[in-house]
Amino acid sequence: MKTIKLLSLFTFLLVLCKETFSQTINFNNLKKEDKHIASLNVGLDYGLVYGVSYSYQLKSKIPFLLNIECSAPSGENVFDDFKTKVGGQIRFYQMENFNLSVKFHGIYRRNMNDFVTLQNFGTELSVAAGYYKSKWFTAGEAGFDKAIVTHFKHSNEYKQVYAAVKDGWYEPATGGNFNLGLMAGYSFKQSDLFLKGGIVTTQNFSKPSLPFYAQVGYTLKIGQHK
Amino acid sequence: MKLINFYIVIITLSILTACEKPNVIQDDGNLVPKTVEHDPSLPSISVNGTQLHAEAFGQNSNPIVVVIHGGPGSDYSSLLRCKAFADQGYRVVFYDQRGSGLSKRHPKNSYSLQLMLDDLSAVIIHYRTSPNQKVFLLGHSWGAILATAYINKYPTQIDGAMLAEPGGLIWQDVLDYADRSRPLKLTTELTNDILYQDQFVIGTDSEHAILDYKYTLLSIAEGNKDNPTGNEGKLPQWRAGAIVNKALFDIGEKEKPNWTTNLGQYKTKVLFVYSEKNKAYGLQHAQKVSSAYPNVQLFQVNAAGHDMLTFPTGWNNFYPVALTYLNALK
Repeated sequence: MKTIKLLSLFTFLLVLCKETFSQTINFNNLKKEDKHIASLNVGLDYGLVYGVSYSYQLKSKIPFLLNIECSAPSGENVFDDFKTKVGGQIRFYQMENFNLSVKFHGIYRRNMNDFVTLQNFGTELSVAAGYYKSKWFTAGEAGFDKAIVTHFKHSNEYKQVYAAVKDGWYEPATGGNFNLGLMAGYSFKQSDLFLKGGIVTTQNFSKPSLPFYAQVGYTLKIGQHK
Repeated sequence: MKLINFYIVIITLSILTACEKPNVIQDDGNLVPKTVEHDPSLPSISVNGTQLHAEAFGQNSNPIVVVIHGGPGSDYSSLLRCKAFADQGYRVVFYDQRGSGLSKRHPKNSYSLQLMLDDLSAVIIHYRTSPNQKVFLLGHSWGAILATAYINKYPTQIDGAMLAEPGGLIWQDVLDYADRSRPLKLTTELTNDILYQDQFVIGTDSEHAILDYKYTLLSIAEGNKDNPTGNEGKLPQWRAGAIVNKALFDIGEKEKPNWTTNLGQYKTKVLFVYSEKNKAYGLQHAQKVSSAYPNVQLFQVNAAGHDMLTFPTGWNNFYPVALTYLNALK
């Protein structure tokens, strides 16, 4: 029952958010005409990770972006591990150059190794507060990534270790990590170059194997820039 | 339309998962086997305030060979070939250390190096039938460190030792070996498989089943081509002990132990073996580490990696030398 409730909540939130976005954007440089925003990034996010994302800016009084993002860690098997995020980002407060924005994502991710395939549905919520000029920006961000429900499917190799292992969905929520960091960017023409990084801690305030994240990326805004 | 399709997929998944009763991740027996505390069918002994998964083979009165597994936190499933000594007139004792394998779990702050030595004393006392019965130690990796720590503390209690690739007998050597044996190459599949898990599953220090499961998954590294330790394949394993591993490493970091201070008193010859294929170990490190003992027989196990006692090639090269060593001291 708990799984149903959690997935229903996940679904409801997705409906609220329609599609979404996870790019790092200079809001001061974002024009209403910038309908399509594409981004490439590389960094450390539970591994050495490469990512692409696309955002669509809705017609609204304040910047509201719908986004989809895909990323995968480095390795020989390119598509065995990946993370997809679908969500939205909205700048909900502005005072001169000071901006506050919030991002919400529904997450589907997979991790395959010789022993197990893990599939997880989760959510991520983060807020960013910063100073944005037309040519540059800097901000702090804080977020929480919750692994709500995870499916375990073990290989025969693991079943040689433990034959009675139970495959299937597992609860309660199997994971949850906080992140806290800083970001900065430089904007020129229709582009942003950005750099971000910070620390990661579990919801129990213990350290994951890679207790920090870092990302460098490029964002291209496609619209009627003048 | 794409959004609607995605929405349908999510709802379908919700319905499918509703039909399947979810498992509880903290429960023993779901992802990892139960320990002796919860599975009375397992062989066990109750000693020194804990319950250890343990068994012995051979005549009760024969000289004892206590097999000490590595990790910390591994188990003796990878060392069962040592049962062969039972057919040669020895009493072979296996035990999973406290918090390891299928032995009982304990809180992280309860562990100490002395406690691990006390457990070993208790195991010897449990199986020893007379004061004159000789006791030999066979330690692999961390088990060889523990065996050395025991000899360093009680040099008159042990009649011989076979040590297979202890990382080091002083803390800095342990760290140096650990760095060489577990290189962090961020671009490899292996490294990212291990790091990526942390966004799926986490556990607190009291959630042993979860942490043990994650630690067991780390053994995907064994036999991997990116692993320099040179094993032929993955190790047999029952259940890894994550908390004892973490606790003892934390203690090592804090106390920076030196297990060689008293080894000069131990004049008995020690059989010290290292493997040909473990690129992180090698002759130079073996000579350095073993030099703490005054009387050493150094032997390279050809065509084997770090877990040379586990796989057939290494075992077949090790066993005759080990048997000759034991028979000379019997």
